[in-house]
Amino acid sequence: MKPLLEARALSVHFPVRGTSMSGDSRLLRAVDGVDIEIGAGETLGIVGESGCGKTTLGRAILRLLEPTGGSIRFDGMDVTRATGAALAPLRKSVQAVFQDPFGSLNPRMRVSDIIGEPLRNLGWPRPRISARVAEVMEIVGLPPEYASRHPHAFSGGQRQRIGIARALAPSPRLIVCDEAVSALDVSIQAQILNLLKDIQRDFGVAYLFVSHNLAVVRHLSHRVAVMYLGRIVELCDEGRLYTAPLHPYTTALLSAVPEPDPERPNRPVVLEGDLPSPIDPPPGCTFHTRCPVAKPDCRATAPALREIEPGRFVRCHFPGSFRQAEVTS
Amino acid sequence: MTAALELSRLSVSFPGQPDRLRVIEGIDLAVGPGEVVGLVGESGSGKSVTALAAMRLLPSVARIDAGAVHLGGRDIVGASRQELLRIRGAEIAMIFQEPMTSLNPLFRAGFQIGETLEVHLGLSRAEARRRAIELMRAVGIPAPEVRVDDYPHQLSGGMRQRVMIAMAMACRPKVLIADEPTTALDVTIQAQILQLMRRLREESGMGILLITHDLGVVAGMADRVVVMYAGMVMEEAPVRSLYAMPHHPYSRLLLKAIPRVRERADRLNQIAGTTPPASRFPSGCRFHPRCPDAIDRCRMELPPLETMPDGRKSRCWRTGEAGLPSMST
Amino acid sequence: MIGRTAAEAISEGSRLAEFSRLFLANRSAMLGATIVLIAVVVALLSSWLAPTDYARTNMLFVWEPPGDDFVLGTDALGRDVFSRLIVGARVSLTIALSVLAIALTVGTAAGMAAAWNGGWIDSLVMRTADITFAFPELIIAILVAAILGPGILTVIISLSLVSWPGIARIVRALVLTLRGELYIDAAIVCGTPPTQILLRHCLPNIVPALIVRASVGVGFIVMAEATLSFLGLGVQEPLPSWGGMIRDGLTALRTDPHLSLAAGAALGTTIIGFNLLGDGLRDLLDPRIRER
Repeated sequence: MKPLLEARALSVHFPVRGTSMSGDSRLLRAVDGVDIEIGAGETLGIVGESGCGKTTLGRAILRLLEPTGGSIRFDGMDVTRATGAALAPLRKSVQAVFQDPFGSLNPRMRVSDIIGEPLRNLGWPRPRISARVAEVMEIVGLPPEYASRHPHAFSGGQRQRIGIARALAPSPRLIVCDEAVSALDVSIQAQILNLLKDIQRDFGVAYLFVSHNLAVVRHLSHRVAVMYLGRIVELCDEGRLYTAPLHPYTTALLSAVPEPDPERPNRPVVLEGDLPSPIDPPPGCTFHTRCPVAKPDCRATAPALREIEPGRFVRCHFPGSFRQAEVTS
Repeated sequence: MTAALELSRLSVSFPGQPDRLRVIEGIDLAVGPGEVVGLVGESGSGKSVTALAAMRLLPSVARIDAGAVHLGGRDIVGASRQELLRIRGAEIAMIFQEPMTSLNPLFRAGFQIGETLEVHLGLSRAEARRRAIELMRAVGIPAPEVRVDDYPHQLSGGMRQRVMIAMAMACRPKVLIADEPTTALDVTIQAQILQLMRRLREESGMGILLITHDLGVVAGMADRVVVMYAGMVMEEAPVRSLYAMPHHPYSRLLLKAIPRVRERADRLNQIAGTTPPASRFPSGCRFHPRCPDAIDRCRMELPPLETMPDGRKSRCWRTGEAGLPSMST
Repeated sequence: MIGRTAAEAISEGSRLAEFSRLFLANRSAMLGATIVLIAVVVALLSSWLAPTDYARTNMLFVWEPPGDDFVLGTDALGRDVFSRLIVGARVSLTIALSVLAIALTVGTAAGMAAAWNGGWIDSLVMRTADITFAFPELIIAILVAAILGPGILTVIISLSLVSWPGIARIVRALVLTLRGELYIDAAIVCGTPPTQILLRHCLPNIVPALIVRASVGVGFIVMAEATLSFLGLGVQEPLPSWGGMIRDGLTALRTDPHLSLAAGAALGTTIIGFNLLGDGLRDLLDPRIRER
């Protein structure tokens, strides 16, 4: 089956003014050769720490910025560099929910205008817009009589519902969620996660779910990609990734998540040092500077993302050499 | 044994219209020497105000309406500005969520650590610098002889938090208040900082009040947990028994609302409604509008924080009953 | 946390009420507003308020001092100074508001286009703005007058030319800041065309800054217009303008100072009025100041 969205060798490089005396501009490789596919009705989770490029990847897919390399195909159409009318199908069928429920809604607009905006852009007549706005407000659990209010009258969780209603209004086929629940309290986060699941079940929408929170990503995703310094280091279905990770970074990342269970506390593999700069990534495997099982080979040659089992991709010379067992024992 | 820090019946209000808003109400909380107490709550629960009140660092518009803050057996609610300057740093210290905003960007990291030592211990500039380097080594900053001359912006987030901790530890305080110390950090960096805090607690025997919304962090760090909601303590218990069998419906539901990284739940248990702002704290039990166990009495009368035979405390009329709705889901 | 709940409590309606309350409490802003209001009313009703025809000469009563017959005396041609002052208000404010309207429209459009498109459009707009900004208004007025001859149109064109770059710069800076807002990203993602984003999302957010800028700018324009008319490049006889009246009075400044003094006082008071109002509005509307 043809995927709904397909990114091949996608790169987003930003020129940075040289910090050295020479002043020549260098490249920040925010996203560096990423391959992903998302099928209809599927959730692909993207996890990684700050600076790994996950947000930039989401923004490139949304075409909020133009990729510097590779391609993006949506529904078979190349939209990598599309503008204007050529971008219209993407703008109708791919929507977004952002992290900050306070910043993502224009404080000067009414809720009905915010949710109705994508529909107005599609040229819908006014009565049809009002009807659809009421309908999606119902779906996301907002009383439709709140439509004439301004965003400041709502709590963080309710604002995120408004953002979801806006994304849902034009019946999209893919919603990019960038840290969509990260700013919310636990009790509200659970409501929104359940809502996103319900929406997928009822309307068959696909999600690209970007988050730093591994537990939240596991809860929502069918497949998960782990990013490090602009590249995918491991990608497979949620079950295998979380129970038997093969890349040492995935293992370390999972071990570091504090479990809400005092009886079985996590034993984090403490990775030494900080994240290297994506401007000057280390040679060879970019993870070798922090990898607990790095060998001379890792410094010399960069591993490729290989499919080592069906549907299971790992970018490591020695996949599985660093096991969860060593972490929990 | 006397507690290192003890808050009793502490109430704080902020200006509001028409009346002042009671943001926290009758908080009882004690941190023993060498003990880590987790203070857990969602935004608006009043946990940060509680911490600031314990440090006497509330903004000038806030007022301590009632109660006492005992530090080493003496009440500091009435302490003068001079006394507070002597107490802070020497007896009680605090670290914050965002180390960048708590460090002065204009001064070198080592100087900021040394300044505390000069003020409190009367060390000379050179002596303070030598101690600063020692402290930086103790909190795991690599090459402290070099880093001592770095400005805050030259340090990564994790390193800045280490500098903050070094500053807090400089005069060997008896109590450390840590307000969301790892919330702004990536998981692998969070693991490093939590490990550091555990080690320092063991070495120095100071008590730690750990304020966080993250029930995972609390599970791995705290000896005892205090759960706050809408400005009040709802439950207090040793960490294991709280997670094994929460008494208050709020704690019970909160624990079931967290997505776990070790297992994938089909649906999260959600708590209906939103956390109320201080201007709209409900009458009776403050959790009753969101509580599946609420009965008429909960709507009318505020339950007391009752101490049970096993020493645990819970603020619920139905504590001890079996087969409550909040237990079944 | 406290701030957020407090902000939530402020609804749209009470925000306006809060603004009015603060404005009424600001004494200098109220004084400025009163002066501006009087000037505007005088200008609007000038045809009725002027006791005599501003252009009627009477060679029997030249350089009359202020008195019963002529409240503020007469000038070298025996024209009633009071009437000319009142009509002069209309001329000055009409020119100022025309310039303001043109500068705001051109400046806003240019600033938005530069900020949104970036690249060569940005460079073109901003370099043009830099060049016009580099010339004093006098040089530009002389150049324009050389082509069109002196007159009201010359004043309006040359003052518009010097006024739009400042507005374009402010608008460009504000739109660049707004582009970083997530709700602008959200609008792009759901297919809102750039013009709509600029008009529906950006414009309402920069209006307060423009109001402040405009009210401070009017004072400058009134002054510049007076300068040009004083030098004879602007408003032409017999139409009165305050700048021209000051010049006319200079010839007899030692013996009959009333003409220059009256026109100078009217000019000074109006400029102070606009500046006080502008400062007051800035204190209230400029978020950089309001956020404590």
